[in-house]
Amino acid sequence: MSTIRQQLASPLQLLALATAGIILLPLGYVTAQALSADPAVWSRLWSTRIPELLFNTVSLAASVAVITLVLGVSTAWLVTRVEFPGRRLWEGALVLPLAMPTYVLAYVYSYLLGFGGPVEHFWQLVAGPQARIFSPHSYWGATLVMALDTFPFVYLLSRSALLSMNVSFEEVARASGASRLSTLWRVTLPLMRPSIAAGVALVILYVVSDFGAVSLLRYQTLTYAVFQQMTGRSDNTAASILSLLLVGLALIFLITERWFRQRSRFYQTTGRYRAPQRHRYGWLGTLAVTGYLGLIVGAAFALPASLLIQWSLSPEAQATLDNRFFGFVWNSGILAASAATGGVLIGLPLAYLASRRPTMLNLGCLQAAYAGYVLPGPVAALAVLVLFTKLAPIFYGSVLILIVAYVIHFLPAGLQSLEPALQQITPNLEEVARTLGLGMRATWRRVTLPLVRNGFVVAWVLMFLQTMKELPATLLLRPVGFDTLAIRVWMEASEEYFQLAAPAALLIVLLSLPALALLVSKDWRAA
Amino acid sequence: MPFECSLPTLHRTLLSGLVLLFAAGIFVPSASAADKLTIYSGRGERLIKPVLDAFTANTGIQVELLSSGTTELVNRLKAEGDRTSADLLITNDAGSLELARTAGLLRPLNMREVERAIPAQFRAPDNAWVGLSGRFWIVVYNSTMVKSDQVKSLLDLADPKWKDKIAIPNSGSEYLQAGVSVIRATYGEEKTKQFLQGLKTNADGQVYQKSSQIVDAVAKGQVALGIVNHYYVYRHLATQPNAPIAVLMPDQQEGGMGAIMNVAGVGIVKSTKHLDSAKLLVEFLVAQAGQKLFADLDKEYPLHPDVKADPALVERKSFRAALVPLTKLAELREPTLTLIEQVGLR
Repeated sequence: MSTIRQQLASPLQLLALATAGIILLPLGYVTAQALSADPAVWSRLWSTRIPELLFNTVSLAASVAVITLVLGVSTAWLVTRVEFPGRRLWEGALVLPLAMPTYVLAYVYSYLLGFGGPVEHFWQLVAGPQARIFSPHSYWGATLVMALDTFPFVYLLSRSALLSMNVSFEEVARASGASRLSTLWRVTLPLMRPSIAAGVALVILYVVSDFGAVSLLRYQTLTYAVFQQMTGRSDNTAASILSLLLVGLALIFLITERWFRQRSRFYQTTGRYRAPQRHRYGWLGTLAVTGYLGLIVGAAFALPASLLIQWSLSPEAQATLDNRFFGFVWNSGILAASAATGGVLIGLPLAYLASRRPTMLNLGCLQAAYAGYVLPGPVAALAVLVLFTKLAPIFYGSVLILIVAYVIHFLPAGLQSLEPALQQITPNLEEVARTLGLGMRATWRRVTLPLVRNGFVVAWVLMFLQTMKELPATLLLRPVGFDTLAIRVWMEASEEYFQLAAPAALLIVLLSLPALALLVSKDWRAA
Repeated sequence: MPFECSLPTLHRTLLSGLVLLFAAGIFVPSASAADKLTIYSGRGERLIKPVLDAFTANTGIQVELLSSGTTELVNRLKAEGDRTSADLLITNDAGSLELARTAGLLRPLNMREVERAIPAQFRAPDNAWVGLSGRFWIVVYNSTMVKSDQVKSLLDLADPKWKDKIAIPNSGSEYLQAGVSVIRATYGEEKTKQFLQGLKTNADGQVYQKSSQIVDAVAKGQVALGIVNHYYVYRHLATQPNAPIAVLMPDQQEGGMGAIMNVAGVGIVKSTKHLDSAKLLVEFLVAQAGQKLFADLDKEYPLHPDVKADPALVERKSFRAALVPLTKLAELREPTLTLIEQVGLR
């Protein structure tokens, strides 16, 4: 039996190895190109751009981390520890900003906060005609947009930490005379620390690799600079050098996140779970809480979404809804579907082998597939581009190259659903099926596949969604006639044709909503 | 029994469906581009698509457009080599066209129509690229904030008194690269470096990706001055005639270098499989009717001597252009980029 398995596993093994190789090769090429660059280029970049870019990137990540920490934890605490009318509704609404791509939020805010925009007009009514507000095209603008867009990561993780936490800890603290505030400070928050840290690391990873918002807000980060180098220079040396730095930076945050995630396991308390006693607020408290949550959800989702709807209904925007527009929808759909399917097909053997035959080799292959996490869009594009021009130039400019970039970039997101799905079924089930006379293939089809189906669907949807929103790699690698919805939003928005960008942006948001619901419902437990 | 069978079948259908979808995604586009002209365009889609639509309406030849950055597209052509699906390259900058020509990407043309319509200084010696429309790198100013005599030369914008009052394009912009090349060729390395350093300080937070945004910022009074190609100003004025903006033709003073000119142009890609259609398009673009479209729609200076520019523009005869020939922009590019990087422009 086991020999049969081994024989059958070996082609799978080869496939997994090949996949890991294909994913790691581009990264290797970029690294090699950066390291073999003329030292003069390195020193020129060090003396001019790199300090500024590193400072901008790290300081943006830091400020967004602090703000998301406050927003995420406070909102999670409110919906899990306080009772007020409409709590259930807010609990779900706080996830909505995840459906809004950063570039959409960025363009809405460059209108709202822009010079002569509505917020400034309002402020001038209050503070006099010469009053100015901060420009959205600045450090603070980028911070605001990124924080509003990413705080749900911290919210979601904090929320589930608060829900699964054994409330006895808090009750003991209260019984021993600690005040409500000091219980929060000395018991609840320390217990949540690993989840919060994981959420914040996720936010930072997201900020560091974001292209859409920083390009529209003209805030110079490493990711944006890589894109500019690739589009403005005839050789990619400087782009590779900046990419290598960016990969290093992302790697640091990825490792941090992993580390905290692993530590968070020690805190899981089993059994004796009981819903926490919710503190009931009076009308004043309710008003304050509702106002606070309303402000956050309004700024991060409701206001931008209603602006998009209003713009989409304008005659200028309606005029763009022709055949060409539906072509963009079709392009987005077919690209995202291909990438998601490719991702599932490629991720499957990796995840399967790692959970069934966890040898060093198989686990290594799986880890290699997570490399996409540290390859922000422009870097993934650069890596794939360099690889293909060296090894298989025939595919340059074809859809294949774009799909490879997507798969590399988004495979980690898919694997995170595939891996647990495969882990949760025990090999016994398959062995039973085999002893009852089913062939290898029939077992796979009739036992394994139905069991992992949900994980598959989630992985597919996740990769579909990410691909549909993807911007920099699409911009750099799209073949002729393959503009997507995301590209249209960016092209119109970067020339400040807000109305014209709105229908495509709105469609992306609408398509993201059911996918978001599916993802959240996977381990959603109402508080 | 039928139920037992249906599940695996369903899965097989589903799985093979997915695989098909995946395969379809890869192979669909190569089929669709069969008998169309494919154009790589470094010009804004808004500026070139109406002209191409007019061509399609006239000839029935379909056009597929890939709009992107000029340098990016030249890089792409180089990488794709003979396998490219592109038939023509349209760019916003003569230097990029000349670079593409010297890299052997473009096809020399022997067309009487071209030679008759476009003066020799606006095309490559072998006609591998042909200029289509002229543009000048000018200063746009907000007339409520600045008087027209406060700035004489582009170099004046480096003056500390304009701190936080000017907007410039980012360093990836081919206009900026060409403009700096001309300044370098005229004034030398050191003076250009000082100019760029001043520009960098003055435009600190106002470095834009798109020229239309610069004009917009000047019109709103967010900044007082900006450097852009002239037609962005007139296009803005065409939709908002009351905007408080005006064009200042720089470097016209005694002994000044003259306004920096560049052309947008077209070249036929060497490996094209649709040479006849591609030539038809070039012919259409250089002919009076095509030239008039650039003049009317885009507010550029037509290069055909018999076609008049939009009357709103500063009359072409009333100002001098800088003397650096367009073909030299290519060789000037690399040292210019090094300088730009040294100064650390964004």
